[in-house]
Amino acid sequence: MQHAFEKIWPVLIVEVLTAIIIVWRILSAQRGKELFIRRIPGLNAIDEAIGRATEMGRPVLMVPGIGGFGVVALQALSIFSYIARSTAKFGNRIIMPVADATVYTVAEEVIRDAYQAEGHPERFDPDSIRFLSDRQFAFASGVAGLIQREQIASSFMFGEFFAESLIFAETGNMVGAIQVAGTVQTTQIPFFIAACDYTIIGDEYYAASAYISRDPTMLGSLVGQDFGKLLITALFTVGMISATLAALDVPALSAAGKWFVELFQIR
Amino acid sequence: MWEAIARFFGPKPVEVVPYYVAGAVIFSVLVIILLINLPSRARKPLIATVTFLAGLFYATEFFLPIDEATQKNMLTDYLVPARKLGSLLAGMTLTLGILSLVRVHGRNIARLRAGWYNSVALLAAMVAMVVFGLMDKYSTHEGAKRVFNVLFEGMLINMDATMFSLIAFYIVSASYRAFRIRSVEATILMTAAFLVMLGQVPVGLALTAWIPRDSMFDWMRLEVVKEWLLTVLNAAALRAIAFGLGVGGLAISLRIWLSLERGAYFEREI
Repeated sequence: MQHAFEKIWPVLIVEVLTAIIIVWRILSAQRGKELFIRRIPGLNAIDEAIGRATEMGRPVLMVPGIGGFGVVALQALSIFSYIARSTAKFGNRIIMPVADATVYTVAEEVIRDAYQAEGHPERFDPDSIRFLSDRQFAFASGVAGLIQREQIASSFMFGEFFAESLIFAETGNMVGAIQVAGTVQTTQIPFFIAACDYTIIGDEYYAASAYISRDPTMLGSLVGQDFGKLLITALFTVGMISATLAALDVPALSAAGKWFVELFQIR
Repeated sequence: MWEAIARFFGPKPVEVVPYYVAGAVIFSVLVIILLINLPSRARKPLIATVTFLAGLFYATEFFLPIDEATQKNMLTDYLVPARKLGSLLAGMTLTLGILSLVRVHGRNIARLRAGWYNSVALLAAMVAMVVFGLMDKYSTHEGAKRVFNVLFEGMLINMDATMFSLIAFYIVSASYRAFRIRSVEATILMTAAFLVMLGQVPVGLALTAWIPRDSMFDWMRLEVVKEWLLTVLNAAALRAIAFGLGVGGLAISLRIWLSLERGAYFEREI
């Protein structure tokens, strides 16, 4: 059982404050406020990769990782929904192997919706979304086999990846696929950077759906996120100054610094 | 009231279990029929309310102060029943997953597509594992237990290990491409990786062992350089990424919890 630390109020206040900022930015974006996002090369490459698959007449692979159903998988499905809309438009074949049964059922609906939204429901092949196995390396061998047999042209890997990430990325590289990847697992990011053409790093993963869809809610949430990060950075800076003051021998300042450090200190 | 709910979802004597199962099935069917027949206008607020209440339960459980002795608060005991609901859902979706597997490979066999025999092997292996797995758990047949042992310990575990060990070869080929010195960034990457790798092995450590410890040149010892690269530069970058991900996760969770998505995942109509 995981609970908030013994010093519950500082954590709760920072979290609630961040949440309020995010919701405030979402609501102001929904009211029509113009927002700017910087260019993310990895996300611009999605269209390039789909275009390449269209020219080559080979399939597009989308892997949502091996994590269970949660925010990470939902974000991956949101990106795949955009990719599926493009493939529906150009008539590309897609292959989406899935390791989690719950993600599989939702993925099928999301991709079907994307084809319907593009006005090509007849192009949707239910067999393109495949449940392979929920065992990590059984799934890895299944995906590697699909990549080799189908000679995919483009590969998109978004979601939670663990040790199998390099198996997918290197097999994709072997068949000459253009690869775009993004994961929340910081241990796997170096592998993707080494083996893929484009890698989405850190919170760019959560920015992806906003960047692609330009939906006001998502854009507002993204800007709110940045405000949240500013708040945390400000806390870091105050924390550093406080720790320095606490170490100095100035009576009033040391006491104030010590108080602030202890407020957030976790034993 | 909480006790009554806990009692209702608690373990039951074997003789009454069939009645509870039958009741649960009838209740589920009624709920599904109700949901299907609800107009879209009513379905959206219902889904939003259920999502909000479910999220509120976990958030409240996390933030409510806990009793130091039991490490629990008033909601902690209900985490297990809540997780069981999730397991039930996962169990139902697994059936759909297996159906997908059977559909795809059954079609391969029926149409004798290229490599159809691989599909036969896959389905046969799946059936064999399920049958012998159940026999291993519920029967006393020694032969079945031995077959399951061969299938699981002798084959599956070893095939897993084989796939895992393939990663070593992939690391070599990926790092060869990544570390080729083509740009300033790749050169920095290569130099840092070279120093860290050298700092991990005795041969590398021996190269700077002649520098006296506690001297002013101590920082030039390879183990110190390696430690600095890993715990200062690398850790700082990883923490920055982790913080970005944390705040990003909070934002997307809020959007889902408060139903602010307006059909981002399931188009306009839920």
